[in-house]
Amino acid sequence: MNTSHQRWLLEQLPQWEREGILTADAARTLRERNAVDDSQPGVAQIVMGALGALLIGTGLIAVIGFNWDDFSRPVRLLFAFLPLLLTQLFSFRVLQRGAASAPWVRETAALLQALATGACIALVSQIYNLGGDWPDFLFWWCMLSLPLVWVLRSHAVAIFYLIAIAIWSVNQVEQGKPWFDSPLLYPLLLLGLLPYWPGWKNPAALSLSVRWVMTISAIVGFCSAAVFVSARSGDSYGYNDQSFLWLWTLTAAALALFPLSQSGMEEPTRRKPQVLLGSLWLLGYGVAATFRDVSDDVLKGAAHALQLPWCWGLLTALGVFVLLAAACKRWAVLAIASVALLPLITIPFVENKNAYDSALLSWLVTLHLAAIGITLIVLEFAGKKGAPRLGASLLSVLIIARMADSHFSLLAKGFAFIGVGMAFLAFNILMSRQLKKKQAAAV
Amino acid sequence: MKTLSFLIFGIAVLAQWAAPLSQIWTHEQVLAKGTLIKLKCSAPDPYDPLRGRYLAVRPTESEVAVPAGLKLTRGMQVYAVLTTGTDGFATLSSLSLTPPASGDYLRLKTGYVYNDKASIDWPFDRFYVNEKLAPEADKWLAENIRSAKGISAEVRVLNGRAVLEDLSFDGKPFREILKARVK
Repeated sequence: MNTSHQRWLLEQLPQWEREGILTADAARTLRERNAVDDSQPGVAQIVMGALGALLIGTGLIAVIGFNWDDFSRPVRLLFAFLPLLLTQLFSFRVLQRGAASAPWVRETAALLQALATGACIALVSQIYNLGGDWPDFLFWWCMLSLPLVWVLRSHAVAIFYLIAIAIWSVNQVEQGKPWFDSPLLYPLLLLGLLPYWPGWKNPAALSLSVRWVMTISAIVGFCSAAVFVSARSGDSYGYNDQSFLWLWTLTAAALALFPLSQSGMEEPTRRKPQVLLGSLWLLGYGVAATFRDVSDDVLKGAAHALQLPWCWGLLTALGVFVLLAAACKRWAVLAIASVALLPLITIPFVENKNAYDSALLSWLVTLHLAAIGITLIVLEFAGKKGAPRLGASLLSVLIIARMADSHFSLLAKGFAFIGVGMAFLAFNILMSRQLKKKQAAAV
Repeated sequence: MKTLSFLIFGIAVLAQWAAPLSQIWTHEQVLAKGTLIKLKCSAPDPYDPLRGRYLAVRPTESEVAVPAGLKLTRGMQVYAVLTTGTDGFATLSSLSLTPPASGDYLRLKTGYVYNDKASIDWPFDRFYVNEKLAPEADKWLAENIRSAKGISAEVRVLNGRAVLEDLSFDGKPFREILKARVK
């Protein structure tokens, strides 16, 4: 239940109490369980505050962009530092007022200060005709803005920071760069947000928008690092795509298994973008790996990636996440994430041969995905929390993929597709009826 | 907790001032005490979304001979001695990994290294111009692109650092030429 649902529920409670639908005790319990934290800014407040700050900041940058070369250097430098000073004083006042400041004012102050910082650096480099690439500028801008996320708890600056470090990481994928100027720095940059995360003297959960941006930023940052470490060695230029594709899959598995608190585990999957996006990649990768050609590439890529320290770092993190997930009984996510590790089981059996026998991996992935699909359906019928429709969809996609890869005649494939389609629809009808029965029984 | 917040905020404020101020200090030193050199260059007119219109300054000298015995790879920091010719323009000579004991020199980064030659990344690559003058710069460049006189970059150099002070054409400051055309 999100905050707007909880607010609606809390608004209804007095009337329900008056009408005798709820007892006073039941209403109190509901109030306690659905308490809304009003210290968090509402979406509309953030958007309005952020838009105002963005317009002012962008206006400032555009004024700077005009280049007032009729003024002397000291005057132009004053233009750069005056907005910075004013926004710093504004933030200081907001910080001084503490909880008395409205959340949207805090957001606006932080964003204005971040933009004034960027404008100041831009104007100084304009005045002195400084060169340099814009990713470097972006890097220093977001570094100087990061403390505002901690002290003013600004969602808008956090989102700016997450987007900036992701863009920076993509731009640093270039062969021959030192590690400290490459996407390998991304994990450290992400850790920079640690004091902002829940659990660090901050019980409030991250908003859904920050979660999505953080997940997408992490995907972009870690995938850039995977591409960077997959650079071909020696004189050859380019990247080993087979290798980084498997590293991306390990990243997806680590994201899906990222440790969650008890309340995090109880939330619906749509509020956990890391689980949603990680699982989607893993299932797509799994279905693709059922094809012989793809599984051949996966094996080659995994064998090469295992020589890279980055891969071993990912595997270590994944190992820790697997243990924690097993302790929390997150079996469904564990089952999906294990698809990423199947090449490790296959490699010892094929490595001694000159050519990779991709049939073994192809069959292993097929059986594994089929087992996941069946388990997701069976769990539901066994009265436990399953995902029957996801299970049925997975089985259908798997059958279609296998049929497409087979040497059967078009007629046989056509009948098979029709059969799968009909079975899928019948299953959907069965599940709908069962849901109606459950709802009727509950009433 | 509040003290910690103020402490972090104070450090952030200091850093936000220190970053641009250190740039200003370094570049003011070079402008005040540096030697003025001239480099032949070209200057097309692109745009930076944050810093406005600028002329992309490209010194014509883009490669330097690598001395025998010096192993260079891409992205290495090197020092190049500046030698002024009879025409008044400076050129790069004798690359080394350490700063030379005397004379004017530049700290540069190497690009590709091949056939005993190294391409170099100049420490300046843009000259910002007023938005009103930028369209005129476009027209002027189109008209004079084939001129034998060429554009020269006036650069101040101090302890390996360089600050682009002005662009000139036939001895006249570039901005003055453009301003005269706008009038």
